[in-house]
Amino acid sequence: MFPWSPEFKWDAYHVAFFGALYSVLATVAGTLAFAAWRAWRDARAGRAAAIAWHGDFEEMPRSARPCRHQLTGEAPERTCENGFDCRHCSAHGHFLALRQAAGAVEPAGHFGFDLPLDRLYHRGHTWVRPEPDGTLTVGLDDMARRLVGRPERVELPAPGDRLLVNGPAGRLRTRGREVRVLSPVDGKLLGVSGAGAAFTLRVDPGATADLRHLLSGDEVRAWGLRELERLQRALGSSALGTALADGGELVEDLGSVLPGDRYDAVLGDMLLEP
Amino acid sequence: MEAVDKPGGARYGMVIDLDTCGGCGACAVACAVENNVPPAAERTTERNGISWMRVQRLEAEGDARAAFIPVMCQHCGVKTPCVSVCPQNAVGVDPASGIVAQIPVRCLGCRYCMAACPYHARSFNWWDPDWPGRIVETLNPEVSTRTRGVVEKCTFCSHRLQAAQDAQAAKGGEAKAPEYTPACVEACPAGAIVFGNLDDPESEAARLAKAPGSFRLLERLGTGAKVYYHTTRDWVRRLADGRAAGDGRTHG
Amino acid sequence: MDERLLPRGRRRAPFGRFLLWLLPWTALLAVGLYAAYLCLALGLNQTNMDNRFAFGLWIYLDLTVIALGAGAFFTGFLLYVMKKRALSAVVNSAVVIGFICYSGAVSILAIDVGQPLRAWFTFWHPNVHSMLTEVTFCLTCYLTVLAIEYLPLVLRNRQLKRRPSMLLFEFELHKVMAVFALVGTFLSFFHQGSLGGLYGVLQGRPFAYRESLAAWPSTFFLFILSAAAVGPSFVLATTWIVQKVSGRTLVKQEVFDLLARVSGSLLLVYVLAKSVDTLVWINHTSFALGVHPASYYAFAPFGTWALFAEIVLLGLVPALLLALPRTRRNPRVLVPAAFLACAGVATNRFVMTVQTLALPTLAFDRFLSYAPSWQETASFLAVVAYGVILYSISFRYLNLFPQERELAAAPEA
Repeated sequence: MFPWSPEFKWDAYHVAFFGALYSVLATVAGTLAFAAWRAWRDARAGRAAAIAWHGDFEEMPRSARPCRHQLTGEAPERTCENGFDCRHCSAHGHFLALRQAAGAVEPAGHFGFDLPLDRLYHRGHTWVRPEPDGTLTVGLDDMARRLVGRPERVELPAPGDRLLVNGPAGRLRTRGREVRVLSPVDGKLLGVSGAGAAFTLRVDPGATADLRHLLSGDEVRAWGLRELERLQRALGSSALGTALADGGELVEDLGSVLPGDRYDAVLGDMLLEP
Repeated sequence: MEAVDKPGGARYGMVIDLDTCGGCGACAVACAVENNVPPAAERTTERNGISWMRVQRLEAEGDARAAFIPVMCQHCGVKTPCVSVCPQNAVGVDPASGIVAQIPVRCLGCRYCMAACPYHARSFNWWDPDWPGRIVETLNPEVSTRTRGVVEKCTFCSHRLQAAQDAQAAKGGEAKAPEYTPACVEACPAGAIVFGNLDDPESEAARLAKAPGSFRLLERLGTGAKVYYHTTRDWVRRLADGRAAGDGRTHG
Repeated sequence: MDERLLPRGRRRAPFGRFLLWLLPWTALLAVGLYAAYLCLALGLNQTNMDNRFAFGLWIYLDLTVIALGAGAFFTGFLLYVMKKRALSAVVNSAVVIGFICYSGAVSILAIDVGQPLRAWFTFWHPNVHSMLTEVTFCLTCYLTVLAIEYLPLVLRNRQLKRRPSMLLFEFELHKVMAVFALVGTFLSFFHQGSLGGLYGVLQGRPFAYRESLAAWPSTFFLFILSAAAVGPSFVLATTWIVQKVSGRTLVKQEVFDLLARVSGSLLLVYVLAKSVDTLVWINHTSFALGVHPASYYAFAPFGTWALFAEIVLLGLVPALLLALPRTRRNPRVLVPAAFLACAGVATNRFVMTVQTLALPTLAFDRFLSYAPSWQETASFLAVVAYGVILYSISFRYLNLFPQERELAAAPEA
């Protein structure tokens, strides 16, 4: 193995054998080191959140990733390939330009849960309300609250922490099952208020808040309907107290009516953590 | 192990006369005593005991006649199956003597050499060697003992060659391959084993090896073995080698 | 109790039931470990190997599991290099099984050698002409590669991937996985071949000896071919077993179809090559060594039926069944055919290890038989138990079958 061992003499066989061996070892060690170095660089550049979200997004089935413009009927068969981050999507700008100024927006209505239109919505079931003083308030929407029920533990970022769009904005533990909450905005966390699933975050977005990736107006209704469909599918054939258009109401605490691993799956499906 | 040509090198070999061998087994016993072969453990059989030299009985079915053939490491020369397969280079051909030497301290015990050897000349230490009580005093100090889990075989008593070389060097003699006698040769009461330098045309071993009726086992494999057997009796030849003397495919 | 470790959305048995499943395998492992301990403490006299049967059950089974474990490298090669995307459904499972096969084989080798602590001597004093040196180096390197391929699976566990360092390392490692797949293919090519070369170079054993092509005997190439051919079949067979034991569908039918197709076509090539090789061997090579090939099959139970069984019954037949679409489409034929192919390779390895040593070489030798001792059998069963335990744990906590969730929600018609 080491050419400086006693009795060693170079010949063609030795060259071939050790050439191959050292090449293999170098390739394996080098590639491993390269991957480790790249990972260290990613960590330093703060790319962990983006990579985590990218991984989760890839694992979601295509049926869970319709483009917002498919929801509104603008683009029939379009699946998002961008991690729901419309700020950096060229197609989104294109679609916006095509959108005519619509007439009066219908109220989001009742799907069995509330989606008030005085705020913007993120695909991860959080809402964002721009405040007069330039800050943003963030909270869980009604569907998420009904899904989560009364969590045993709510871990939220601390004031001063930086939030990133599609990065983690907290973890909830409910009925022994865990799920993380996606942050809908970029910014610095100013403060936290509220208890349990009714928490709200106060965020300073910096100079200008880029909220193009959030849903508003007509999109909210279309999305809400679609999410209900998705929930139905995730729950399986038994409706368990949910009804669609017949005006029924989504159960307050879904965890109370679902078996454990089913509940775990539903949480992950709806809050986008597969 | 790399070969370095030494002046005055030899090719030690053996010729065993099957017409004289009576099958007494003195050679096998002497070998075991000389080379510190451990006493057999309780469950030893002929298949897992250590015997550097074994005496096989040759007989044909339905025939009352029997002959005996002592078999040990044939010290192959041209093609050494065990040397080429040992993953650790724990076997090598000594260029100065032609002896196929084993390094027990380097042996891993993988037994690949045992699978490779067509003469089944190699034994494995399936047990921990033990010399209980005062038997340990019979050990030959010139030969190192082996541990459990390593392979061992006939060395043509290379320690005796070493002693002869040392004596020759002490006398300040020229570098000529010394004559020496392995234990089995010494012990044979019938003098059936002749040992010497096959490259020395004057030696009796070299002469007998070329004599008519001399043959090697598994000649067809071309191992270049240095152990020859001699018999004038066709039926013995056939039993030992699978073919009669006149078959013409063997090389004298 | 361990819900936090379970992958989301997959039905898993309650923790107590899982422990109950592991219990008998743990018991088997314990017995086997005791048998291995006996061999290490008292010596290899605990086995039924002897000076004539220097290789026994262990070497035979090592060769077999390594041949079957070739599914790991070959699936990786087909996926990452040949871009057969459908195989991403089974590559994780194949890697785990490959890891189990190779780590098991290396563990058995550690007790099979007389002085395990001297194992490093091969690295320090390598004999580059020996096939066994090549095998040693290759197996060590390949086991490392397999461990590296196993790592991302573990790092993607639900709790582990929460840690940014693990997440990022897994992400970057996955991006370069093709490099490891290629290195794995290269190493596998050589060690599968060298295991064949081990026997092909034995001039003293005309039954095993073969002519050389380039530097290697024909058995080198035949072993590579048979390992690559049977690898996909073994992946298929094990997936089927896991589906049966777990009671759920884990892969789509198209995956089985692809595995069978590849295995079948390669097996056909192998059977052709093996037939040519056999003809050369019985008409030329044996005679050159002074042996009539009929003598190989003159001793019961190794009659010529053994050769026929190996090449035709367990070679050509499963090859055709897997290669032909008509038979492949029927799962009742497909799965047994895959098992038959695995049995064929096991037979080939058996014949090369055991029959080689059983046959006499000297004119005054006898045909010998050998049956393994309970210590040998138990040690090997410990490896099987270890495999089942490790696979069960991997199946429970890791995402071995990416299609599992999709198929549970919407089963194929």
